[in-house]
Amino acid sequence: MENEIARFVDALPGSVFTAPPDGRFDLVRSVLDDLPVLSALMDASGRLEFANRQLLAYFGKSLEELKDWGKAGIIHPDDLPGVCEAWDRALQSGTALDIEYRNRCADGIYRWFQTRGSPIRDAEGRIVLWHIVPLDIDDRKRAEAELAGEKQLLEMIASGRPLPDVLDALCKFFETAATGCLCGVYPIDWSGPTFQNAAAPSLPASYIAPMEGLPVRLDVAPCGVAAQTRTQVIVEDIESDSRWRDSSYRAHVLGHALRSVWSTPISSLDGRVLGTFCIYRRTPATPSSHQQELIAQVTHIASIALDRERKEAELKRSEAFLAQAQRLTLTGSLWWKTSTGEITWSEESYRLLEYPVTVTPTVELILRRCHPEDLPLVQEKVASAVRDGVNTDFEHRLVMPNGAVKHIHIVMQNVGFDSGAPEFMGAVTDITEWKLAQEKLRQSETYLAEAQKLSLTGSIGWRVADDQHFWSDETYRIFGYHPSTLISFPLILQRVHPEDLEVVQRALAEAQDGRDFDYEYRLLMPDGSVKHLHLVAHGMRDRDGRLEYIGAVQDVTQQRRSEEALGELRSELAHVSRVTSLGTLTASIAHEVSQPLSGIITNASTCLRMLASDPPNVDGARETARRTIRDGHRASEVITRLRALFARKTPTMEPVELNEATREVMALSRSELQRSRTTIRMELAEDLPLVMGDRVQLQQVIMNLLRNASEAMSEVDDRPREIVIRTARDKDDRVIVSVQDAGSGFEPHSAEKMFDAFYTTKQHGMGIGLSVSRSIIESHRGRLWAVPNDGPGVTFSFSIPRSLEEEGVEAHEHGDSARSLVAPDVPALGSV
Amino acid sequence: MTTSRSLVSVVDDDESVRESLPDLLREFGFAARAFASAEEFLASDCVAHTNCLILDIAMPGMGGPALQRELSRRQWAIPIVFITANRDDSIRPRLLEAGAVDCLFKPFSETALLEALSVALRSN
Repeated sequence: MENEIARFVDALPGSVFTAPPDGRFDLVRSVLDDLPVLSALMDASGRLEFANRQLLAYFGKSLEELKDWGKAGIIHPDDLPGVCEAWDRALQSGTALDIEYRNRCADGIYRWFQTRGSPIRDAEGRIVLWHIVPLDIDDRKRAEAELAGEKQLLEMIASGRPLPDVLDALCKFFETAATGCLCGVYPIDWSGPTFQNAAAPSLPASYIAPMEGLPVRLDVAPCGVAAQTRTQVIVEDIESDSRWRDSSYRAHVLGHALRSVWSTPISSLDGRVLGTFCIYRRTPATPSSHQQELIAQVTHIASIALDRERKEAELKRSEAFLAQAQRLTLTGSLWWKTSTGEITWSEESYRLLEYPVTVTPTVELILRRCHPEDLPLVQEKVASAVRDGVNTDFEHRLVMPNGAVKHIHIVMQNVGFDSGAPEFMGAVTDITEWKLAQEKLRQSETYLAEAQKLSLTGSIGWRVADDQHFWSDETYRIFGYHPSTLISFPLILQRVHPEDLEVVQRALAEAQDGRDFDYEYRLLMPDGSVKHLHLVAHGMRDRDGRLEYIGAVQDVTQQRRSEEALGELRSELAHVSRVTSLGTLTASIAHEVSQPLSGIITNASTCLRMLASDPPNVDGARETARRTIRDGHRASEVITRLRALFARKTPTMEPVELNEATREVMALSRSELQRSRTTIRMELAEDLPLVMGDRVQLQQVIMNLLRNASEAMSEVDDRPREIVIRTARDKDDRVIVSVQDAGSGFEPHSAEKMFDAFYTTKQHGMGIGLSVSRSIIESHRGRLWAVPNDGPGVTFSFSIPRSLEEEGVEAHEHGDSARSLVAPDVPALGSV
Repeated sequence: MTTSRSLVSVVDDDESVRESLPDLLREFGFAARAFASAEEFLASDCVAHTNCLILDIAMPGMGGPALQRELSRRQWAIPIVFITANRDDSIRPRLLEAGAVDCLFKPFSETALLEALSVALRSN
């Protein structure tokens, strides 16, 4: 409205004022008085002639006081020289004046004015008067200043100036815009929550320092309430305000000559309270509407600053995480805009390529590190990436300045929008360690393969459900298949020796329930050669619960052949030793008996000669005859002694491990059993106690039972000829060894007769063996018995008490009397 | 046959031999002496007069072959007939080679003894 009127006055035609008659001045004055704008008339020399009522009231001055306006004390001292100079120029040149400066109003406060002065000329064109219109533009001016201040603050934030600087500037800005106010910004650390890092440039340290680290609570200070309730808290006068009467805060504020406290929460866009903005005044007051506007403005800017700080901290943290992750994974990232050649590397990329972070990344720098042998590949990849913009993924080597070689893996993805100008985001990973590990693995695989080759042992894996086989090279070699052959069961069975086919098929059938394998069988190779294999496999479930066997198969042909040779050698040796001991025995018997026999014959000869002499020497003959009888007794005594020595049969007692003893017998009998196409399954119990006994005798019993079992099946053709040897421990701590056959079995009534010395159901006459076996076992305080199986065949078992020592059986040494007599060798068994 | 009866000495650790053999030798017409060991024989005054020595091979202390060597060392050329209960055929040739007249295995017959003695005394 005022502006419109001012424009109206300005627009009055100069002619109206041109040399007006004196009477008409009054009219003009009364018009000007009535206008609702400030208006004045000045003469050509610059003295004020007239001022309208509004103007006089505005400045609180009389026309007299204003006449010499330069000395009236209304123009701001800082602006006065400029205003005087402008008027001097205008008065001389006669051109209109338009100037902004501060005037002191009636309330004593300086306000900004825009003052316009227009010359009024008479008919001759001489300037007679100047019409002056001062316009109060203080509000506009302040808004402009605030806008500029705000702009400056936002620039500070945007340019990343430190937060304390920004907050200090914020306080200063408010204090400038709202005189008489002192400000503080109190950021909140919600982990406490506490007030931290307050900014209050105009408040003394003695005020701010105790505020640092104060808990954000309702009872602490207006700021605590503002933060917790998210509402503005106005304390007009803390001295009288009942809310703070008992608070130590009151004394603190009053102690710094402050009275009113206005605290406003600073909230982020997402509603989080980031801190408080607090205004203090030295006199009791409540905020004016202008001040409230300013508060709203400042808290908004503060929230931006704090939010930015918070986000920057988060960004920094996540960048640190990323850098750490890159460091840990030895992975650098890169960005490459092919159209401009701009490349950015992460810190880790620099480290990986061993360039200082100060260099500007280029493709050339990367190529320079490339291993010469890999250079063509890398160049080709880079070229095609630029040309076609395709994603790429490759490995190559770098040669570092110190000569070390690094293996790296590069992945590049085209993230550009323009297909003609690819833009790649990529990752480069140092895979040297991994490569070395891989190389090591390859090496150890080579070693393993070599070891398998040397030991003729192949490894196998078999997933039962889908008949998947995994063979090592050596397994292929053993079976004589090419390593590219897809293995299946028909293919395996094709190689199995016809005589062992049944055994293998049965083993496979049993494998369905996950039992471990330990089998020996033979292969019949296409060239007619026979291989003996020992297969051991362990069944286990994979993660999906599928049954899987892991095992090893060893070519034991050589061992078997040497064992066979050894077996032959042993039986030869046994024969030799038996013959030898028999010879020694004969010699001893001969020696012992021939002494008295010699006497008998000599005496008898003498006796005959004495009787034949003439006259017969009867006394001498009687004496020699008596000596003959005596020597006869002596010979008979020798025989008795020999018999007694035989009968005593002192066995060599020692602790015997029956599992081990059984395995030895197995090793000796294997070839013989194989010849009779008998398979053996061993189910030996673990942790068997030792027994005291004569190892050789017990082994002879086991061998005897094995041969019995084998012969019992010699005519079996409709079922597998299988022997199962078991060891176990019964409840009385006796060790039981049993041999189960699948033979023809026996009639129940013959179970006892079987052990009689000459009973046998077989042509080869095993009867004596069983009888002797039983006496051996009984001499060990044990028991030997036979039980028919549920199925075909019989199980022979013997049990031996754990310890014979406790029962007083001594381990005899041969005395002197045995000098010429060897220990009995149980020849009866050996001959079975 | 000599005019005086030839002396046959028997050295054997077995008592029954020492009892029976001298009687039989006397029945044959020889003078006979028995000794339980080689040492006893060497210590006796019979060594010089013995015309034939019947000697056991295996004895405690000095054995038969050792006595044979000792006599040879002392240059007593007494014909020796060995007797033994150990029927070891390999020992016989060695003994004969060393100068023994014969080696009889116990129990031996009267005839075998007489034959050996006649060879021994003839060589005298």
